[in-house]
Amino acid sequence: MTQEMQFKKIVAQYCKTEPEKITNDMRFREDLGFSSLDFMSFLGELEDTFDIELEEEDLVQILTVAEALEMMERLKAEA
Amino acid sequence: MKEYYPLTAAQKMHHNWIRKYKTQQVSGVSVVASLKAALDFGLLKKCIQLEFERYGCMRIRFTKPDAKGEVKQYIVEKETRDIPLKDLSGMSLAEADHLMQQWAYETFDGDDIPLCDVTMVKLPEGYNGFFIHMDHRLIDSCGLVVMINDLMQLYTHYKFQSAYPEDLADFEEVLAKDLQRANNEKRFAKDKKFWDDQLDALGEPLYSDIQGPSVLEEARKLHGDKNLRAADIELKDLFVEVKDYYLEPEPTKNLIDFCMNHQLSMTNLLLLGIRTYLSKVNDGQEDITIQNFISRRSTHDEWTSGGSRTIMFPCRTVISADTDFMSAAYEIQNVQNRIYMHSNYDPALIEEEMRKRYHTPDNTTYESCYLTYQPMPVKMDNPHLVNISQHSKWFANGAATKKMYLTVSHTENGGMNFSFHYQTAHLEEHDMELLYYYMMRILFKGIAEPDMSIGDIINQV
Repeated sequence: MTQEMQFKKIVAQYCKTEPEKITNDMRFREDLGFSSLDFMSFLGELEDTFDIELEEEDLVQILTVAEALEMMERLKAEA
Repeated sequence: MKEYYPLTAAQKMHHNWIRKYKTQQVSGVSVVASLKAALDFGLLKKCIQLEFERYGCMRIRFTKPDAKGEVKQYIVEKETRDIPLKDLSGMSLAEADHLMQQWAYETFDGDDIPLCDVTMVKLPEGYNGFFIHMDHRLIDSCGLVVMINDLMQLYTHYKFQSAYPEDLADFEEVLAKDLQRANNEKRFAKDKKFWDDQLDALGEPLYSDIQGPSVLEEARKLHGDKNLRAADIELKDLFVEVKDYYLEPEPTKNLIDFCMNHQLSMTNLLLLGIRTYLSKVNDGQEDITIQNFISRRSTHDEWTSGGSRTIMFPCRTVISADTDFMSAAYEIQNVQNRIYMHSNYDPALIEEEMRKRYHTPDNTTYESCYLTYQPMPVKMDNPHLVNISQHSKWFANGAATKKMYLTVSHTENGGMNFSFHYQTAHLEEHDMELLYYYMMRILFKGIAEPDMSIGDIINQV
């Protein structure tokens, strides 16, 4: 399984959209129905699953799946 | 073979209250759900028994406490108890409510015993349904709503051949995952750092009371410490009264629209309303802490596994009088979002850290107000029941661990209900009236003029 699919499988646990149907331009709040609690819990799970450390200041910038995926991949590469 | 598990942080919160207040009554949760329709009670009984099989949290039991007072939990495979039917239809609705209120006061005393009772009820005015009484260590209000809906889906499946409800997540699997996450050392270190950093940055919190600074002054006298920043909690007289206030649909819509237009959550707006009131009645105090309950349900499995997932964390903000309403709201939102990320942490450890750092006396607190925003109504969300009148009601357990606990929920007609549970040892209905009145004045002044400073709002309302 690719890292991107693993990422989308985690996203799918928090919404009613199947991983295969999650596209990178989807917005967490508006398109996938994430609440603030969902989003922050999801980010915590990303940290634990991919063993990365998110900068809390950067989190407010993330609106779409692509932005979160890009951040996760960058941090994973740096780790 | 039976597996024994430690309690999660959310369960421990209730367990610690039972130990502290020396009664299981503080951990009771009760609700009645009914329909204005004839029910097939034989079928309903079968569905309730099936629900015991589907919803594992209903079968949790606790071992005898060890020398330290700690218990383990396990899930029994089968619950074979009968489900009784009580006929209250000859009473008035008020009399039936009064009787069910007495049931809600009952305690589950003993070890290794069932902690979930379901009673089918025939109610006055043609309502029929069931009354559920459980220990909060097994379930929270969201979990109960999910259970009620699942149960009625089972009923309509067998009665009207509607679709069988979707599988619920396995409680034991979700519990094991939660405990595994709590034991993740890296996660624990991050969460601990977040909470410690807050204390490093802001120092010891300062108590703020609904009744003003005199309560803290009293505590200072009692403890002979003029610099004390915490006040005593009530340990003996836990009797609680409930006062509900209803906000009409139109003003409710104004609050919801404001939240939507400013990407603000209702919880944070409510927290701002309460904290501004506390600031107003405490001589403009800027450092305010409110305990806010978080449901900790995000994934599909967390939503459908049941269990007691709701946990409270202190929402502490220091907001100066010259901060405008909108900025204050975003400041609270920022704090709350960060708390959400660290909500796996055990709040008892935050308290422990404060006691270690500040030598806070036993049985004192920094908070007088507790908030739950409950957007999920107790409504049987089922297409077969859509045109049938429903009657649901939560019953207080009669023993409050908190001085004032506000539950805000939405009503079916688009309004909002503000349910104040207050300890009668120190508070009266008039205190709740003042709190609600000023909270509304503050919120509506703020959403009308979001650029106005908090200080000006306090002066003008």
